Amino acid sequence: MLKERANFFPLRPQRRGTRRGKFTSRLLSIQVILTVTLTSIAVLVTVIVSFALYNRFAKTAEENASLNMQQIIEQVNYNLGLYVNGMRNIYKKAEQQIGQNAAIDSPMLQESLSTLLESREDLVSFAVFTPEGRLVLDVPSAPMRRNTRMGEQSWFIAPKKAGDISFSQPHVQNLFKKRYTWVVSMSKMIAYTDHGTRKKGILLIDFNFRTIDELSKQVKLGKRGYAYILDSLGNIVYHPQQQLIYAGLKYENVEPVLEYAYRSYLDESTGEKRFITVRTLNQTGWKIVGVAYYDEIVTTKRDLNQFMMLFLPLSILCVIVVSVLLSARIARPISKLERTVQQVVEGDLNTSINVRGAYEVEQLSKRFNLMLQRIRKLMDQIIYEQETKRKGELEVLQSQINPHFLYNTLNSVIRLAERGKNEEVVTMIQSLSKFFRISLSKGKNIITLREELDHIRHYLVIQSFRFKNKFRYEIKAQPEVLNCLTVKLILQPIVENALYHGIEMMPDEGLIEIAAELRNGLVVITVRDNGLGMSGETLKGILKGGVKSGSGSGVGVRNVHERIRLYYGREYGLSFESELEEGTTVTVAFPAQYGDDGETATEGAKSL
Amino acid sequence: MKRIRVWLTLLLWILMAALLSSCLESSSPHIAIDKTRNIHMIVKMNRGDYWNTVKMGAEAAAKEFNVKLTFKAPGTESDVKEQIAMVEDSIKGQADVIILAASSYMGLAQVVDKAAYYRIPVISVDAEVGSARVTTYIGSSGYEAGQKSAKRLVQLLNGSGEIGVLNFTNTPDKQESGSESDIDYGARDADEREKGFLNYVARYPSVHVVDISYTPSVTSEAEELTRLMLIKHPNLRGIAALNETASQGAAAVLRERGLRSIKMVAFDSSPTMMEQIQEGIVQATVIQNPFSNGYLAVKNAVEILQGIKVPERVDTGTKLIDLDNMLWPENQKLLFPFVR
Repeated sequence: MLKERANFFPLRPQRRGTRRGKFTSRLLSIQVILTVTLTSIAVLVTVIVSFALYNRFAKTAEENASLNMQQIIEQVNYNLGLYVNGMRNIYKKAEQQIGQNAAIDSPMLQESLSTLLESREDLVSFAVFTPEGRLVLDVPSAPMRRNTRMGEQSWFIAPKKAGDISFSQPHVQNLFKKRYTWVVSMSKMIAYTDHGTRKKGILLIDFNFRTIDELSKQVKLGKRGYAYILDSLGNIVYHPQQQLIYAGLKYENVEPVLEYAYRSYLDESTGEKRFITVRTLNQTGWKIVGVAYYDEIVTTKRDLNQFMMLFLPLSILCVIVVSVLLSARIARPISKLERTVQQVVEGDLNTSINVRGAYEVEQLSKRFNLMLQRIRKLMDQIIYEQETKRKGELEVLQSQINPHFLYNTLNSVIRLAERGKNEEVVTMIQSLSKFFRISLSKGKNIITLREELDHIRHYLVIQSFRFKNKFRYEIKAQPEVLNCLTVKLILQPIVENALYHGIEMMPDEGLIEIAAELRNGLVVITVRDNGLGMSGETLKGILKGGVKSGSGSGVGVRNVHERIRLYYGREYGLSFESELEEGTTVTVAFPAQYGDDGETATEGAKSL
Repeated sequence: MKRIRVWLTLLLWILMAALLSSCLESSSPHIAIDKTRNIHMIVKMNRGDYWNTVKMGAEAAAKEFNVKLTFKAPGTESDVKEQIAMVEDSIKGQADVIILAASSYMGLAQVVDKAAYYRIPVISVDAEVGSARVTTYIGSSGYEAGQKSAKRLVQLLNGSGEIGVLNFTNTPDKQESGSESDIDYGARDADEREKGFLNYVARYPSVHVVDISYTPSVTSEAEELTRLMLIKHPNLRGIAALNETASQGAAAVLRERGLRSIKMVAFDSSPTMMEQIQEGIVQATVIQNPFSNGYLAVKNAVEILQGIKVPERVDTGTKLIDLDNMLWPENQKLLFPFVR
């Protein structure tokens, strides 16, 4: 079936043999475009929003962490301040006791200072020296070493310059035998009474790092964070890894710390991001430095990172899935439509498109269906027309040698011959011969009007012998119309009709008028008879093929009508006017066409 | 269509990953401490300030790097057999790393090879060991230390006089048998120091090393040897002691006799020695970096376990300390361990 049709429509596009550029065309399919667009927009938005949020949160987290750390260091600073103040108080107390006591070497003074010393774990020793460096008093009492070189030591020099209590940097106290202890020394010039005379001397109080250590140990700055203390010169007073620093195994970048008294900053000199917070102890000029590892302290940021790492891919995955589904939903009807159309293109006109989807797609599918229906209809019509045409032509072919007509005519000739009417016999045979000649016309379908009119004239001549004086006929034609082309054998059935149905039964003499003229580019031929006429119903049925004369020459009026319409178009053909007892007028109208070769015309002219 | 989708998705993922990774800064690698390491440290002796400081350094590193430190040492520096047994023990105990201060250069070579056979890295600290399988050596150059000691002593003696050297070794039978065998059974650091000292002194024709005594690591014996030396050589003008025990013994004798005329250069920085310097008994001492040695040994051990490349030799340096510079802040830090 399909193959048949394919042969039927040679110009129809054939199925594409190779699918060149399939990949690129697929890349440009609606679904891919939609997917890519949706995904990229969504991903872009997600990423931008996420990062904006992330940065915002991260910044806040950082600020919070920094603030938190500053508070911790502030606290340590405060505690250390309290501690230093406590030490000052002890110093003042000792100074008071020594100053008020009548004799520097009295056992009572020794006793009270011992009590003071034992009250605190972090106090190491009290000692009073003369400005020349001679030991006057020491608690606890211990033999002094030689070569102490105390004149070079800061605790000994400082009181001579400043009036207030001075704090030394951490150092090893080398004065007394049996111990080398790391201490911080407080020293000041004081007055004491020795053997009744008021003298000046240096009171030295050493304290160890126990309390400072404990205060600093409390600092929790993440797992690895710590706090350390610098003196105003940059020497490390306290550090959790003091020995490592002293041994030169670790370094602390103190330069940026020393420049500021109060500061928080991010340090990356060690390769790791670290928060550094600096606070300064007013009493001693010591700097408390908090060091926190960025990635530890800013845990919120890390959590955020983890969340983002989870959330972002997940949301992007969702977006991709949604956009793929969505675009598939939009694109599927269209691609289905495309496939169906492809089927149609491949020749299956019976495909009905029933695509559901978006409004536009549904409309498109509906319209396409309508179009397809129309195409099918047209196709059917063409098939029908072609078939009718062939049938019509066949009928015409058959009518060209209608045996019945021939028989009748020959009978008439015989009768004439019997009567010895030679002249009439000759005329009749002549007419018959010409009639058939034009009927055949070398197999052509189109002849000139001149020939057609000749043909009908011969027919009428023949018929006038048969219907003796029963009718008259008149043929009028404008000269310019004679050369027009016409489908052959269109008048004969009409005239036959007029004769057999209109005039034969008539008691009076009939009249057949045939007129051909050119009217507005149309060839109009009217065949009028004054016969019986037809009723309205007969008139209606005549072109639909309902009425068929059994004794006709075979080619019906309807055949004429259809042939004209097939050749010239649906608006042309036959029209009937009829009134009972008055007669019938048949009008044939078709466009005027002129043959490009004059052969037919001249031939026709000759035969006239 | 599916393939394209797959590729597109992949591309997007890569893009995202790149974006993310560029944002989250990668922290620089530092020694991971999530796993507890089992490190054995075997030194020459379980007494003495020097070894205590080494231990302190090791413990500081152990605390920092999450190490379970097993510290072992025989009673005396000469107890090579005991030390070998200890290394054997550590091999059996499946230590991750063995840190060894070998009492005998050759005596411990075999057991170190054995440890290497069991794929236990061995780190030498303070004293080297005669094995090619040692991963790294951490300590000071004994030769250099000996030279420093000699230089100062020659200076103190103004370039002339008799000198007695008090060294230490771990094979007391060596002297008795008198067999100077090819194999060096002494401690590597002792030999190096002596070599350095003698080589320096050899430049001065008027300085004579009249006696070299070897003490085991007991102070009383060192004192005995010093007394003997003083009796044997009444014209002795200088003494060089080449380890802590020897220094303490010699200083004690000098102090006891009040012999201020004899100059002495000691070794290592025990508080007693510092006091002797302050008292003027000992004029100078050559110090090493025991804390650093201990600390770096453990740190390098952890680094080896993590596959970080460590240098073949780490010289922690030596320094000459006398009364003038002992109170310099930077020297205070080296001389006196910071105890809270």
